Amino acid sequence: MFKNYLKTTFRNLWKNKGYTFLNIFGLAIGIACAALIFLWVEDEINYNDYFSNKENLYKIKDSQTYDGTTFTFDATPGPLAGNIKSEIPGIKNTARTTWGNQSLFSLDDKNIYEQGMYVDSSFLSMFGLKFVQGSAATAFQQLYSIVISKKMAEKFFGSTNVVGKSLRSDNKQNYVVSGVIEDLPENVSFKFDWLAPFKIFLVQNDWLQQWGNNGVVTYVEVVPNANIASINKKLYNYLDTKGSGFNAKFSIYPMSRWRMYDTWKNGKEVAGRITFVNLFSLIAWIILIIACINFMNLSTARSEQRAREVGVRKVLGAGKGKLVVQFIGESLIMALISAVVAIGIVYLALPTFNSLVEKHLLVHVTNPVHVGGLLVIALICGLIAGSYPAFYLSSFNPVTVLKGLKVKSSVSAGFIRKGLVIAQFSISIILIISTILIYQQIHHVKNRDLGYNKESLIYLQVQGNIKPHFNAIKNDLLQTGVVKNASLSRSTVLQLGSNTGDFQWQGKDPTKQILITVESVSPEYIPTMGMHIKQGRDFYADVKSDSNNVIINETLAKIIGGKNIPGSVLSQGDTKYTVVGVISDFIYNDMYSSSSPLILFADTAGTNYMTIRLNAKDNIPASLARVEKVIKSDNPGFPFEAKFVDDQFDQFFKAETLIGKLASVFSVLAIFISCLGLFGLAAYTAERRTKEIGIRKVLGASAKGLAGLLSKDFLYLVAISCILAFPLAWWMMYNWLQKYAYRIDISWTIFFIAGLLALLIALITVSFQAIKVALSNPVKSLRSE
Amino acid sequence: MIKIKDLEKIYRTEEVETVALNKLSFNVKEGEFVAVMGPSGCGKSTLLNILGLLDDPDSGSFIFNGIEVAHFNERKRADLRKRNIGFVFQSFNLIDELTVFENVELPLIYLGVKSDERKKRVEEVLDKVQIMHRKNHYPQQLSGGQQQRVAVARAVVNNPKLILADEPTGNLDSSNGNEVMQMLTELNEQGTTIVMVTHSEHDARYSHRIIRMLDGQTVTENILV
Repeated sequence: MFKNYLKTTFRNLWKNKGYTFLNIFGLAIGIACAALIFLWVEDEINYNDYFSNKENLYKIKDSQTYDGTTFTFDATPGPLAGNIKSEIPGIKNTARTTWGNQSLFSLDDKNIYEQGMYVDSSFLSMFGLKFVQGSAATAFQQLYSIVISKKMAEKFFGSTNVVGKSLRSDNKQNYVVSGVIEDLPENVSFKFDWLAPFKIFLVQNDWLQQWGNNGVVTYVEVVPNANIASINKKLYNYLDTKGSGFNAKFSIYPMSRWRMYDTWKNGKEVAGRITFVNLFSLIAWIILIIACINFMNLSTARSEQRAREVGVRKVLGAGKGKLVVQFIGESLIMALISAVVAIGIVYLALPTFNSLVEKHLLVHVTNPVHVGGLLVIALICGLIAGSYPAFYLSSFNPVTVLKGLKVKSSVSAGFIRKGLVIAQFSISIILIISTILIYQQIHHVKNRDLGYNKESLIYLQVQGNIKPHFNAIKNDLLQTGVVKNASLSRSTVLQLGSNTGDFQWQGKDPTKQILITVESVSPEYIPTMGMHIKQGRDFYADVKSDSNNVIINETLAKIIGGKNIPGSVLSQGDTKYTVVGVISDFIYNDMYSSSSPLILFADTAGTNYMTIRLNAKDNIPASLARVEKVIKSDNPGFPFEAKFVDDQFDQFFKAETLIGKLASVFSVLAIFISCLGLFGLAAYTAERRTKEIGIRKVLGASAKGLAGLLSKDFLYLVAISCILAFPLAWWMMYNWLQKYAYRIDISWTIFFIAGLLALLIALITVSFQAIKVALSNPVKSLRSE
Repeated sequence: MIKIKDLEKIYRTEEVETVALNKLSFNVKEGEFVAVMGPSGCGKSTLLNILGLLDDPDSGSFIFNGIEVAHFNERKRADLRKRNIGFVFQSFNLIDELTVFENVELPLIYLGVKSDERKKRVEEVLDKVQIMHRKNHYPQQLSGGQQQRVAVARAVVNNPKLILADEPTGNLDSSNGNEVMQMLTELNEQGTTIVMVTHSEHDARYSHRIIRMLDGQTVTENILV
């Protein structure tokens, strides 16, 4: 029986090559799309799985409430880790790390910047780092020891057998390599190639020893099956046992949620990256369903061809059940063939897809998860695609079909078929509209006025001579003629990392804390960035003369209130600062929202970055070369690594750009697959109406009129799809846009364009068939009946 | 073998009600060869469909081999059909995607006959209808007469007790038609009961008895032997 089914299936597929191609190709594209998306999802879901102890690892979250709004940070006080380990039961181990540092390492003539962290030695064992050389227990026995990755070891020494060898850091300090660890995979939360003892950092940053300063990340390993609620209960008010006046409330946050969630709004965890994972999984299924719909529609549309076979099989004793099995079997075979074709498409598309999502995903035909996943997808597709046609075809009455009476497509079958086409096009139109709106939103935000000019701005890390000899270097740079200005600052202009709630001023309720961003800058900062002074003055060129003066932004000025802001006094503890100027707001940290209150200090001691404004008129690469020459000669021993503020700005839109790119790719594919189906349907309709067309032609119908007649029915379906898709798309995108404070208004023209586009694409698809039939010789078409 | 009594079948559409069988009664004995004749629309085909368990009557009794089957459900009908009844159609109704051999094999597959046994029986019957040399051809590669021989072979391969033939020569020229009638006669002589619907007086003369129908009722019965 099975053999007989197989034979009929393959002969049927072979006989209707065009139909088979449309079905298999459409389904294969659908399966390949889904497979690619699921590979991405797999990578996301397995994030941090590299750490075998994942389920017992946590980090401390620090929530602080200012003026009724709670902000949640990873920053914690330095003494926290050591204290909670001994005081809170259930906590097995703790480790502190810095935020990630880029340091210059040198060996002979090799000078390379490498990313790393200062960590407590417990970090090495808690995260189970795999030592190729050395061990977690002995790695940090010496103060200036360093654990490096295999990659870094090979870069410097050409081998991994390097324990005991020495590397110079930032041209200042020698470190002895005490261990080599395996390179970390890409899908983990840490990116580092070296780890050095936290003590080194602690010695340089004495302020970390205080409970009131939050400057390090604290990781926690709990005992297996620990009572997390009880640990959190003890942590919540833990800081109050160490002093008074603190705002921070602690809790532990599991590693399993870092990647997918870790987004906080007013003290509550909100869906983070998981939204993308869910969204893209949904899109994968939608594309599969669109492909399955093609199969259903083409199978039922050409049911007349199979009707006689159904009749004969029934007369010969096949029950309905056997026929259902036969037809579902056929669609399963088709789905399996499609899955094989899809593997090929995945292999071809993977490099492009990888560059699109910026990952290095791999597909393994030997990986049981991948093979199993593909089989499951094929099985589901086969069942979905085969179910309706199987029940439809097997329900034919043998008496009717064998009499040679045409199976009149029942009203319900036609209705379902049309419904399915409408569903396909509605989805496609929603995807088109979403894509356009996502791009509009990204474009809108990218082109917003940041409050300064981000073009032609480069920044580099402050190292070696740069800070001590800044004025001389600045003058050398200005003399090149390609540089307009240069300044120092603690953070890069787009990402200001420090804030405090400690400031008081006259008229402020002293019990209310207001979170204010603080930034230390050199006096050239405002003109270098191109910011505008609204009131008062800029800092004086001599940084010392403004050591007790600050400049604030408009938002803070509004909060302080009153007309004459310059001259007002801000106090932090016993220190008093006089406001000498107010600058226009500029956007930092969150490109989608408005500016937060900000204070600029004239203080170069704590600065980490130098920002240089190039002359916009000049040739940028040439200017960059001139700058490099100056920096290299003034700051020897350090490689020149400048970055553009522009590029850093683009990084803010990574997530949105990814959605935009994927949405556009998938909407094109959805439309394409839908059109394959439409093309097939149009072909069958044309075939079925050959006689009618012949008669109409004989009676004098024009080719144009006939093409219109045949196209009309399909265009009507697309029009209905528009009516369904528009409100749904509006609702979805309206809700999506709500999460951005700075956003576009949805314009009706987008809907018009999307609708028109869908109609046009459908018209082109259908008219190919319509014109072919309309131009055919009527004598031929009449004879063929 | 067949006893029908007061059989009624009415086709209804929204506006029209057509009485296809009107309290029809007759019997067919085992081993008989009966021809059913009558003008188009007299209910011949409806009768044949009911006899073939492809359709069920609205009322009346149909006893097949001593069992009342008038209101069997689809599954029971299909089961009874594949064990007892063979069909020969005017338009052959072979499956285009299957070869001659595979077409004839199909009823045996649905009966669950083992592969070796199937091969033996199909070859036997193909030999009998003299089409063995074309067993690997597809239906569209054969002439009408050859196709109908294949259809007959398919109808008899599972040794049915009853063969229902619906205008078996309707699409054939006279010499091919005579050949098919000869085959049916031989089968009948070997004990198979045959009910044949036909328009052809010539073909009807091969039977033992002619039932003439009009407006869903029998009008006359001519016994020929």
